[in-house]
Amino acid sequence: MPAARRIRVWDLPTRIAHWSIVSLFGVCWWTAKSDHMQWHRLAGYGMLAAVWFRLAWGFWGGETARFGHFVRGPGTTLQYVRKLFARGDEAAPAPIGHNPLGALSILAMVGLLLTQTTFGLFAVNVDGFASGPLSRWVSYSAGRRFAHWHGANFNLLLVVVAIHLTAIGFYRWIRKERLIPAMIHGHKTVSAPIQEPYFVPWWRAIALATGIGICVALIANIGSLA
Amino acid sequence: MRFIPILRNSDRIRVFLVSATMILGALGSAHAASLPQIVHARQEHFRMLGRTAKSLRDQFGRRRLNWAAIGSDAQALDRLASELPSWFPPGSGQGHGVKTRARAVIWTNPQAFAQAAHMLLFRAQGLTRAAAHHDRRALMLNARALGHACGSCHSRFRAHSGWW
Ligand code: HEC
Ligand code: HEM
Ligand code: HEM
Repeated sequence: MPAARRIRVWDLPTRIAHWSIVSLFGVCWWTAKSDHMQWHRLAGYGMLAAVWFRLAWGFWGGETARFGHFVRGPGTTLQYVRKLFARGDEAAPAPIGHNPLGALSILAMVGLLLTQTTFGLFAVNVDGFASGPLSRWVSYSAGRRFAHWHGANFNLLLVVVAIHLTAIGFYRWIRKERLIPAMIHGHKTVSAPIQEPYFVPWWRAIALATGIGICVALIANIGSLA
Repeated sequence: MRFIPILRNSDRIRVFLVSATMILGALGSAHAASLPQIVHARQEHFRMLGRTAKSLRDQFGRRRLNWAAIGSDAQALDRLASELPSWFPPGSGQGHGVKTRARAVIWTNPQAFAQAAHMLLFRAQGLTRAAAHHDRRALMLNARALGHACGSCHSRFRAHSGWW
């Protein structure tokens, strides 16, 4: 068995995107519940940018962030699930990036977040004032419907996030894999002979973030441009 | 009494009480029948309030404001706000077997509710004045405060939805 080595698994943009999503999730939730709609909208724009970035990074980012790298077919996923609870040689190997099951929850989370922010852009608040920037192109009742879907979709998000956190706990205490430190500093210690993932130059992240930032700023201010 | 000579005074009182009870009962059941209508009309009024507020807000981003349209929306808000207290007759809140989010505290603390309604009227009047004077700053200020008047009344007097 080769000696354990420390390899990089998550690049900085992936980690920044994740922890931004986590904190913005909390801010969005709290500002909505306490009726601080001005802040809710700002945090929502941040979330929109973070989610768009993560989506783009899934195509042009480092290997472990790419959807093409970690999203597997149902066959591979089932095979992985069967070995999930096994021990010793039978146990499913720990992949350096996301495992096939985690891939599903990532698709669900990113998809629901995309839906959540899109509904938010069209949502009309009960008072008709604190509303999404695109709501002026929909009627009041349609905007209210978007707000209801926005609320219902949030419940779905809560469920998927609960599953996400439970899964992380499962890996920590049942499979003895610590996933959180890797998502913080980006490295894992591995002993299996695996090839290190490739990463992309940092300026690509800057370019994508800039472009997305401009798009989100335009959407946020579309009311005064139109 | 010549018309009903057989009745003694105590009987007359009894007849009066029975018929009064029957009339009140009839009124009461008529009231019960119209309760869903009262609540429905109230919610329709509130949706009108929301529609008008949105219509007003949707004009804000423009570089050149359409003061005529803004003025008519502001007046409509003004009128609805002055009518708002009349949408809440006693017995039309939660706990009377009808689907409503109007909390009982509206009737147990009527001063606070009247104050919240008055705050809305005050801001709607401010909007009407700002529109009449083509005062953009005052318009924005009162619009934000109006939205706040809606929200703060809802947080106290309208039941919340959702379990989180
Ligand atoms: C003085 C208190 C008060 C103020 C001010 C107020 N509301 Fe309400 N609103 C209520 C209450 C109470 C309900 C619940 C009514 C019910 O469910 O029967 C309600 C319900 C609503 C509803 C939901 C109606 C439905 O379809 O069920 C809308 C929309 C609404 N309000 C809009 C507004 C807007 C817009 C403003 C400000 C421009 C506003 N409200 C200001 C007390 C208020
Ligand atoms: C572009 C981004 C967003 C915009 C413009 C936006 C806008 C809005 C608006 C206008 C409302 C009020 C709806 C109402 O009064 O019923 C609202 C409510 C809410 N939003 Fe957002 N939102 C955005 C993103 C998000 C995100 C990312 C989350 C959570 C992850 C979120 C969670 C909520 C919640 C929980 C509510 C309360 C729903 C309710 O009370 O029924 N929003 N949002
Ligand atoms: C305190 C709360 C959270 C912790 C500790 C946490 C931790 C983690 C960890 C360790 C991973 C890596 C999993 C792996 O190794 O395969 C991960 C991935 C992920 N998490 Fe979380 N998470 C939290 C909250 C959230 C929330 C609230 C969301 C979204 C609403 C979210 C969305 C995601 C996504 C999309 C990924 C995939 C990461 C990527 O490839 O970019 N997480 N999380």
